[in-house]
Amino acid sequence: MFVQQLMNGVILGSTYALIALGYTMVYGIIELINFAHGEIYMFGAFVGLLLVTVLDIPFFLAFLLAMALGSLLGVTVEYLAYRPLRRSSRLSALISAIGASFFLSNLALLIMGSQPFSFPNPFEAKIYHTPLFIISRVEITVLLSSLILMIALTFFVQRTKIGKAMRATAQDKDTASLMGINIDRIITITFAVGSALGAAAGVMVGIYFRTVTPTMGFMPGLKGFVAAVLGGIGNIPGAMLGGILLGIAEVMGAAYISSQYRDAVAFALLIIILLFKPAGLLGRPAQEKV
Amino acid sequence: MSRKSYWMIVTAAILCLAMAMVGCSPEEEAGVLKIGNVGPLTGGAANYGINVLRGIEVAVDEANASGELGDLTLKVYSEDTGGDWSKAANAFSKLIDVDKVDVIIGGVLSSESEAGGPIAKDAAIPTISPSSTSAGLTLDNPYLFRNCLSDEAQIEQMAEYAVNELGLGRFAILYTNNDYGVSLKDSFEAKAKELAKVVAIEGFMDGDENFKPQLTKIKQSNPDCLYIGGYYTEGAKIAQQAREMDLNVQILGADGLCNVALIEIGEEAVEGTYATSGFYPDDPTPAVQNFVTAYKEKHGEDPDMFAAQAYDAARIVINAIKTSGPSSEEIREGIAATWNFPGITGNTSIDEEGDTIKDVLILKVENGKFVRVR
Amino acid sequence: MLSPYYIQLVILVGINTIMASSLNLIIGYTGQLSIGHAAFMSIGAYASALVTVHFNFPFIASLLFGALVATLFGLLIGAPTLKLKGDYLAIATLGFCEIVRIVFLNLDITGGSVGLRGIPKKTTLLTVVVAVLITIFVLNRIINSRIGRALIAIREDETAAESMGINTTYYKVICFGVGAFFGGLGGGLFAHFFRFIQPNSFGFMCSIEHLCMVVLGGMGSMWGAFIGATAITAIPELLRFLGDFADYRMVIYGAILVIMMRVRPQGIIGQRLSADQVSIGEKLFNRWAGMGTGGKRG
Repeated sequence: MFVQQLMNGVILGSTYALIALGYTMVYGIIELINFAHGEIYMFGAFVGLLLVTVLDIPFFLAFLLAMALGSLLGVTVEYLAYRPLRRSSRLSALISAIGASFFLSNLALLIMGSQPFSFPNPFEAKIYHTPLFIISRVEITVLLSSLILMIALTFFVQRTKIGKAMRATAQDKDTASLMGINIDRIITITFAVGSALGAAAGVMVGIYFRTVTPTMGFMPGLKGFVAAVLGGIGNIPGAMLGGILLGIAEVMGAAYISSQYRDAVAFALLIIILLFKPAGLLGRPAQEKV
Repeated sequence: MSRKSYWMIVTAAILCLAMAMVGCSPEEEAGVLKIGNVGPLTGGAANYGINVLRGIEVAVDEANASGELGDLTLKVYSEDTGGDWSKAANAFSKLIDVDKVDVIIGGVLSSESEAGGPIAKDAAIPTISPSSTSAGLTLDNPYLFRNCLSDEAQIEQMAEYAVNELGLGRFAILYTNNDYGVSLKDSFEAKAKELAKVVAIEGFMDGDENFKPQLTKIKQSNPDCLYIGGYYTEGAKIAQQAREMDLNVQILGADGLCNVALIEIGEEAVEGTYATSGFYPDDPTPAVQNFVTAYKEKHGEDPDMFAAQAYDAARIVINAIKTSGPSSEEIREGIAATWNFPGITGNTSIDEEGDTIKDVLILKVENGKFVRVR
Repeated sequence: MLSPYYIQLVILVGINTIMASSLNLIIGYTGQLSIGHAAFMSIGAYASALVTVHFNFPFIASLLFGALVATLFGLLIGAPTLKLKGDYLAIATLGFCEIVRIVFLNLDITGGSVGLRGIPKKTTLLTVVVAVLITIFVLNRIINSRIGRALIAIREDETAAESMGINTTYYKVICFGVGAFFGGLGGGLFAHFFRFIQPNSFGFMCSIEHLCMVVLGGMGSMWGAFIGATAITAIPELLRFLGDFADYRMVIYGAILVIMMRVRPQGIIGQRLSADQVSIGEKLFNRWAGMGTGGKRG
């Protein structure tokens, strides 16, 4: 049973990790908690759903299109709600982000209605038995696609020129700008990539849990944010680790402590970890400039 | 003048102006009886609130068109709570003080009715909730009624059917940790222990999507059936995830499962599920069929349990107006006197505590449709 | 003569003013980002309601009891977590708030998810007004005292404050305790007003509402907290009067938040930032954002 629960945790955690990546990338660049990220995730799921059911587009293509449209929405939100506030207090930007999140989820509610939509399963329902655990085909797909996206992202950030510019911007905007990096463009690209991952997570959770609703972004958004902080916000491998750990903590909390106190266990663990590692698991302690 | 005080004055002025504007209460229209509705029209529970409102609208349209109330026209005023009971208290107050409604149908969630009940009592406005199941809700409040299945009646029927007809004996319970789920769990646990064995009890939080940890634990205890104390979205996901984990046991549930969305989301996984219900949309009786047709015409979809119970609640109010009179006090008396009222969710009586006595049906999912088995 | 609906709104504005001004002490004056203020509200609400229901405490005593229990938890949670900075503190307070909510959802004595009913109605317009005045008076005295100057010094520059001999942890914990006390007071008033409490209204969204009040009104200003509390309480209620457009209520609410921040990023009565008079917004922005110079060129 332990191994089975561990698998459950890793699969759940991989979806958190994908959401956390969007948070962490944006935070790394402009230190803003992008509250509307959960809504991008919801939007991605809806786009995927509509493309598959209404337009009858093959699943893989719909997945890519949802990512593309998700990143477009992310960039739009940045342009309308965050960019004008870039010179204001960070908390003002946070409130603006909260407003954007309310706006998007309630707009979705008005347009789509409140009834949960069921996501058609693009794969045949198949269960694989191994000696230690049982895994379904959907779960394998979710796990593999998260892994592929995370590897692709790591490659993008570490190996490409734009990725290098992103890292430079995150480290020091002034110097980066002096080196000829267009900061605005980098921020836009960051939002685009982060939102694409969020939308991808939305589609994957859609096929995994089989429903899409306008309010589905709230809790996973919160959890993704927690996962990002757990790993050390602004740190990309940290977000992946944080997501997986949060998933495992939740599942183990439900399995061995109490399913009622599941989230409390996860949050208590988070606080304890922060007390010992005040900048998250992989985050570097902030250097105080005196 | 500094910019700061300028902004302060502008804000204060806007707020005052808005307050004054909305302060003008609507003119009393002669011959109009106002029905208030309180429920979640936004947020995670919005589909329950919206369906309730739609059910009320169908009943009101019908009464206005048929002229059964003579010169009296019914008008619905609805307020959103976002699923938050403290906002529900504002909604109740606003309906009572500003819109001056004569009767309220709502709240939808139990916590909304709990918060609104005392306000309605203070203002002496009769209130009937179409869906708040929380135990003891209507006690000590002569103005608060409800029209929904009692959990005890549902549980009794289901547990006996499971043991005697289906031959099941090892029960696992999976319930939502909210008033609806907890109440079902408590009753089912007590009854099932009396008749057979309960091998596992697990809970989950409202809005959860992942039930694998609980199901993994339940599977360990080797049950032969799974009782779901929750609503259809979660029920469908639980069924699906149980099948994904090779946990192929009989699934049972209560009226919360009886929605077509259960089948749409759950597909094959919910096939064979049994659930108690007060409403069966394929019931051939004319009252039910008229409602289903009218609802489909107006809202373009099939009514669910919430819509049907809200429709019946509105019908009970209309009946009270007819038998007792149009003032709030008369409506209260009329509702309290409801006995053997032929609703589309079965014959309904209101007991002396404002609670409902109703028939319970058992439905089964067969070939992607709910079928009445008892 | 005000109708009960407006009295109810005024009472809610009052309770929210207490919540916002106590949070303002933590965020606006001390510069510690806490997004779990609802935890203290719920602790105060439950503690005071339980002693009223079970032990028949007089109203004032039960309010004080609730506030003191909240203070105790504020100190307990504050002492270890306040060494965290910025968003890490934020997430720890958020986690604390969720833990409190989940515990209340599962305890028998609090009525669990069904909620606690049968609380006598004792909060009136008068008690709320008195409570608001006391809160603002006490907070003002604290801000203008030695403690207050220490808190502002911490906000302006924690390292410098420490090197001036201020025991920053001690003062931060004091500030958290005071904030929790008034948060608990607000919760007690809330419980005795609605006569019913249930944990889900004290969740994350409630904390976020408090935060919106502080930022929208203007950080580090007592008037700001009041204006923010009024606006955040009143806007969703006023939008009920949109008639046929009431469906768009929450969409408009979201848009208003975005637009307000675009127009007045420093809050309604926050100060304009200038070079010689570096305001709170600017300071927080420099410390937390680290993008002060970077963004300006943009």
